[in-house]
Parts: sequence; C-alpha cells; structure tokens
Amino acid sequence: MTTQRVLSQSKETLLQNYNKRLKDDIKSILDNLTEIVKTAKIEDETQVSRATQAEQDHYEMHVRAANIVRAGESLMKLVSDLKQFLILNDFPSVNEAINLQNQQLRSLQEECDKKLTSLRDEIAVDLYELEEEYYSSSQWDSTDLPLCEAYRRQDSWASPDSSCSSTQGDREDMDGPPSQETNPQHHLNGHGTASIEKP
Amino acid sequence: MANDRLRALEDTEKEIASVLQCAGNIVLELSKDKPNASFLDRQLVQFQSSVNRVENELSSQIRYLTQVATGQPHEGSTYSARKDCQMALNRAEYAKVKLGELGRTCEVMLEQQQQQQQQQT
Repeated sequence: MTTQRVLSQSKETLLQNYNKRLKDDIKSILDNLTEIVKTAKIEDETQVSRATQAEQDHYEMHVRAANIVRAGESLMKLVSDLKQFLILNDFPSVNEAINLQNQQLRSLQEECDKKLTSLRDEIAVDLYELEEEYYSSSQWDSTDLPLCEAYRRQDSWASPDSSCSSTQGDREDMDGPPSQETNPQHHLNGHGTASIEKP
Repeated sequence: MANDRLRALEDTEKEIASVLQCAGNIVLELSKDKPNASFLDRQLVQFQSSVNRVENELSSQIRYLTQVATGQPHEGSTYSARKDCQMALNRAEYAKVKLGELGRTCEVMLEQQQQQQQQQT
C-alpha cells in the first residue's frame, strides 16, 4: 500500500508528507510528556473521590505514555523512509558511490593485467629453452608439429615475418648461445601475447 | 563506504531512542515518594536538547532532499567495470593452471631421466 502511494504521488507531496509527519510526531511527544508531568501534580480533593481521581489519572498517564511511544515509533519509521528515499534519489551521492566502485575495480584489473604481462615476459625466456630441450630430445614424437612451427605458420598467415628464416637457423643449433636467443625472444613475446589473450 | 547522510540518519535513530529513554526516566522519577529535583532537571534538559537535535537534523535532511530529488530513476551501474575485473581474475587463474601443468610436466620428465640414469648405473 505504501509503495503504491509513493509511485502515484509526486515528490513534492511526498516530502510535504514527511515534513508533516515529523512535526506531528515531535509535537505529540512534547505535548504528552507535558500533560503527564502536569497530571503528576497532587491536588486537593475535587468533585470526585480521591480513589476515582487516582484511577482516572492512572489511566490517563497510561494512555499518554502509549502515545509517546507510538510517536517515537512513527519517527523511527520516518527515518527509515528517509534513508530509503535518500538511497534511491540522492543522485550526487549515488554517482559518487558508482564512480568510486568503478575506480577500484578498474585499478584492480589493471594491476592484475600488469602482473600477468610481467610474468609472460619472464617465462618467455625459460619457455624457449624448455622447448629447445624437448624438441631436440628423444621424447619428441616426430609426427607432432612443434609449437614454434605452429605459431610461425599462424604469424605468416597474419603478416609475412622476416625473422622466420633466422629463427629456423637458430633452431637447428642445439647449443643455443645467448646472443642468438634475442631474435627468437621477440618472436616468442609475440606468441606469448597470442597465447595469453586467447581464453 | 557508507554515505555521510546515512550515517547522520543512523545517529538520529539513536537520538530518538535516547529521547524516549529520558522521558521514561522522568516519569519513573516522578513516581517515587521523594523525587530528586536535580536529577529531574538534568533529564529534562537532556530531553529537550535531544528533541531539538532530532527535529533539526530531520528537517535539514528533508530540505536537502527537496533540492536534490527528481522523479527519475537512477540508471548508472558498475556492471562493465565489474565484468572486466572478473575477466582479468579469470585470466590470472587460467595462467596459474597452465603454469601448474607445466611444472608437473617438467617434474615428470626429471623423474624419468633419473630413473633411466639409475637403470644405467
């Protein structure tokens, strides 16, 4: 019922409603407490007997105390409604929250990718040595296509690679001196990019 | 990351509770045979200041909302950044899995080599 009322009223009437509730509840609390304190005053015997007057005062105080509690409860409900309205409609703070969250997520993503890139650069060297070792050992099944060969073919489909011939010359050299590793390293770094970004 | 205004409203809720607490203490004190006047005065002053604070805070929040609110829903989201971050974490996980496989393969090779050497000697 409350939700439908929110949807059908404009925001001005809604906020006027909030104002009215606030003023009424505060007024109710103050008035009821004042009346309780006034009723607590002991007076001389009036029209009715003391017992009846006491009973009446007791009942009146009970009702006024209940009124104070009800007004307090209504104020709590008002605060809850204000919180809800604030979360939904306070655009400056919602925008700020969204921007902050986006910033945090993007920085986390950049850090992750930076670390992956540096890992790729480190491993490229070791991976080249491992491949050399594997394909020159007796374990290698000669019908298998070597990984370097597969990547080279993919590269040559994409763009004619001038370093193809130099890499082939290096591969035939089993020792693999460090000076000849720099050329294929560029090749491998390019391959490394392709392999990590594929999934 | 809670908003300042939301935090202020939380404090207001606690303030309302203290208002009711003060009112209860006043009535309790009045019910005694010999009410302590100074205690009553203190409670009354506290009650009045709390009520004033509650009223001021809530009316300032309502005033701010009259200036800021429109009837339109907000359509921003963090979905794209969150998805990008999720994919980056997936990439890292995948790289970890692949490196694990590579490590295991190297270890298997080394064990085979060692076994062969032992058989030869």
